Amino acid sequence: MKQHPLCTDTEHVTNVLDLAIPAQVKQEWAELQTRRHFLGRAGKVLGWAAAASLLNNRALRGDNYSAAGAPGGDSLKFPNFAPRAKRAIYLFMSGGPSQVDLWDYKPNLAAQFDKDLPDSVRGSQQLTGMTTSQARFPVAPSHWAFKRYGESGTWVSDLMPNMGRIVDDLTIIKSTNTEAINHEPAIMLMNTGNMNAGKPCLGSWLAYGLGSMNDNLPTFMVLQTKLNTDENNQPVSSRLWSSGFLSSEYAGVGLRSAGDPVLYLSDPNGVDREVRRKMLDAVNEINRQTYEELGDPETNSRIAQYEMAYRMQSSVPELADLSKEPQSTWDLYGPDARVPGTFAYNCLMARRLAERGVRFTQVYKRGWDMHDNVTKILPIICRETDRGCYALITDLKQRGMLDDTLVIWAGEFGRTVYSQGGLTPDNYGRDHHPRCYTTWMAGGGVRPGITYGETDDYSYNVVKDPVTVRDFNATILHCLGIDHNKLTYKFQGLDQKLTGPVPASVVSGLLA
Amino acid sequence: MLPIKQSTRIAWAASLGLSLLLLSLPWLVRLDGHSHADWQQFLGRFHPLAVHLPIGLLVLVPLLEVVGALRPALREAAGFVLALAFASCLVALSLGFLLAYGSGDSGAGVSRHLWGGVVLTIVVLICLLARPQWHAKGVGYAYPTLLACMLIALVWTADQGGSLTHGNNYLTQYMPAGMKRVLAFGTTPSASFYARHIHPILDANCSSCHGEGQAKGGLRMDSYELLMKGGKDGAVIVAGNSGKSVLFQRITLPPDHKQFMPAEGRPPLQPEEIRWIKAWIDQGASQTVAKLDGITIREELPEAPIVPVGDYSSLMPEIQKMALGQGAKLKQVSAKPSDGLVLFTVDAASTFDDAQLAQFQKFAPYIVEAELDRTALTDACFDTLKQFTNLRALHLEETKITGSGLAKLASLSHLSYLNLSGTQVTAASAASLNSIKSLRHVYLYNTPAQPAPAATRASQPATPAVEAAQPKEKSAQ
Repeated sequence: MKQHPLCTDTEHVTNVLDLAIPAQVKQEWAELQTRRHFLGRAGKVLGWAAAASLLNNRALRGDNYSAAGAPGGDSLKFPNFAPRAKRAIYLFMSGGPSQVDLWDYKPNLAAQFDKDLPDSVRGSQQLTGMTTSQARFPVAPSHWAFKRYGESGTWVSDLMPNMGRIVDDLTIIKSTNTEAINHEPAIMLMNTGNMNAGKPCLGSWLAYGLGSMNDNLPTFMVLQTKLNTDENNQPVSSRLWSSGFLSSEYAGVGLRSAGDPVLYLSDPNGVDREVRRKMLDAVNEINRQTYEELGDPETNSRIAQYEMAYRMQSSVPELADLSKEPQSTWDLYGPDARVPGTFAYNCLMARRLAERGVRFTQVYKRGWDMHDNVTKILPIICRETDRGCYALITDLKQRGMLDDTLVIWAGEFGRTVYSQGGLTPDNYGRDHHPRCYTTWMAGGGVRPGITYGETDDYSYNVVKDPVTVRDFNATILHCLGIDHNKLTYKFQGLDQKLTGPVPASVVSGLLA
Repeated sequence: MLPIKQSTRIAWAASLGLSLLLLSLPWLVRLDGHSHADWQQFLGRFHPLAVHLPIGLLVLVPLLEVVGALRPALREAAGFVLALAFASCLVALSLGFLLAYGSGDSGAGVSRHLWGGVVLTIVVLICLLARPQWHAKGVGYAYPTLLACMLIALVWTADQGGSLTHGNNYLTQYMPAGMKRVLAFGTTPSASFYARHIHPILDANCSSCHGEGQAKGGLRMDSYELLMKGGKDGAVIVAGNSGKSVLFQRITLPPDHKQFMPAEGRPPLQPEEIRWIKAWIDQGASQTVAKLDGITIREELPEAPIVPVGDYSSLMPEIQKMALGQGAKLKQVSAKPSDGLVLFTVDAASTFDDAQLAQFQKFAPYIVEAELDRTALTDACFDTLKQFTNLRALHLEETKITGSGLAKLASLSHLSYLNLSGTQVTAASAASLNSIKSLRHVYLYNTPAQPAPAATRASQPATPAVEAAQPKEKSAQ
């Protein structure tokens, strides 16, 4: 038995061959030993090979160049073709925003108030446990008026006056649809292409495929918006930015919504940069030995992450320092943006991350899950998010960044046209609705000023140009120059990919 | 030379007579542009159906003759196929003539197609006559030459016919832009609203019936003058009044209306196209006005295709060494090396200066994008940048440049994106960018040049997509 290098105990090692046991068992043990010995040696060789690649720290982060230095760039796989977008910002609206009240304008529903949703529309749709026992499904028209905006004449709810101003920059998808009806499976499906946990998310796939543009910040960052307790908040967990079976250095790195953006990042009193560096070198050396012993690639991830943290000690304070932002920024994003953790602040931060070469930033906003009291809560959450989304798009555009940045706005599903619980002239609730929901994209690679897909008169079923979650993700990858069928990773005997085994297709109608 | 038999002589004479009859047909029965009996149209509409039979057979004949050299049985069949082709030619020709005469089609395209059909039929007839003698080794290359002529006549006639049904640009409409350029299809569009937006709509939807090929109702819409002239019932456009313009009335009828245009079940115009036509007519139906009130159309200028850069494989070791170190580095745009390189400086932005940029000179022709934002570059950088001949996108935001060297970028013929936000570039120095014809996106946010982006744009109508790099709030002031 080999001892761990840090272990100083002198352990008595028993030799099995000396024990009083049957010869046959001894024989078996010896054979096993040989195999272990062989595997151990093999591991070491692999370890050295990997250690050699350590010197090339970019190769570790999935970057495009191998240490072998194959001329002509043979080693480069991604992007598969010249990308339209170099980076992406994903505004994730957790809980399921109501397409009926925000984007999917159905003027004829007003006359249907409190009438039953026709069975022919609902069909054999499975319902959640929350409404399945309801005696009837009364249609609840949106409480808010809609107006037409922009050259495209797109209808937008009065809840989002600012979004109306940039509607010509958006690519609105009314026909997004999912297979999951509850939050956790649906949000996993949206983010990882699979309802079960354990698969890498979109950001991790991008980090794995495209690598970093900035050595001093993580490739994939996650910003959580702080809770508003007036809203019904569904949990958002780090499973959503997990790297799954990919190396953990591709996992999203979260910035905290309050206090230090990254905990324990600053050096403790009495430790200066030089001491920190020496300590890291020593820790890295030990990690390297461990890697040589055990060959676990996660050890390399750990080394890379220590190094990243070290560099982030200077890059993150600079990132979080908003004192140099001009007044025009605050005029654009609004006063909320001065408060860390608000949605507007996170939108501003997303722009700053994009400026600094972060490949993928995901902003989570919880609270869209409105089973009741829609008329009270929806205006609150729209006030929180409308300005931020508008400001982000406008800001990226005026700075010339919208040309090569893809912005995505999506939740995990939509909401039902019928009321959950009691329907009154002033209030209603809406249950989860997977069959159609509205999402939008803007910027690099997508066609601005269009609305794609159509739903029926009840905003219940897609009647034209459906976009599945697979197609949605394939299209995002396409904008970033990736063929979704080529971005694969061998795991459990399969070439795993974000879009899963069911065929997916890039939605060409969305592309510029 | 074999003696010519009596029967052969008769066949030649009969053929001569038939040919003369076919040739004089367009004069005997003139296509007067008026529609005639319904039965003629009924039969005539079988022409597009029947016409494919002779096409197939005629292509088969040379094939059988050639392959027949190896398998004589096939060559024997060729004679029969040729005869059958001739018969079907006659049928198709008759039906086609009935179609044109019955429906009152006229126009250069119809005449060309008709003449093509006549000539083709005659050539096929001569082939039919020449074949037995060629078979008997009487004539050497005459028959194969005739077959070649026949194929040429066939392709030309079929193309003319296709243009009548589908429009002139049917085959080339979706041709890749690069191929179009090589084959020199399409002309440079003029800057007027008519030329950029109205004419393409009419061309795609109307000109196959109202164009050079056919001019139904005497109306041609393939040029501005002819469109304004109108058809046999008078003008179709009343400048300044879309309601009184027949064209506008007909395209806005319910699609199942008898007089709805485009007719014969062709797809209706898009709502936005109808909106543009309405605005164009209401605002004077001008040929030259470039901009209409209330209509802003996003230019769907496709991004310029990527020009392949040269082979830089000999520089790869150096590029890869750079990738491992700190500081500026070059990365491939994509897995395809010919897509070029991107210069990234984000890791060393604050220390990256003109001298360091100069070291990238040897990579200059391979760099298509340079991310030089937030670097220590000054106006001296343009001396190096002007050698980046394949540069498409240039980021210089938040640098110390004042724009005095911007004119040096004029040599970059592919440059389409230039970001100067947050620099000290003035309106005067930014004006020198007008000479770069390839520029599509210029950003001057937070610069002294910002208040006057409209002037930059107005002086440069040829590049309409130059973005006004200005927040909306400010432009309202």
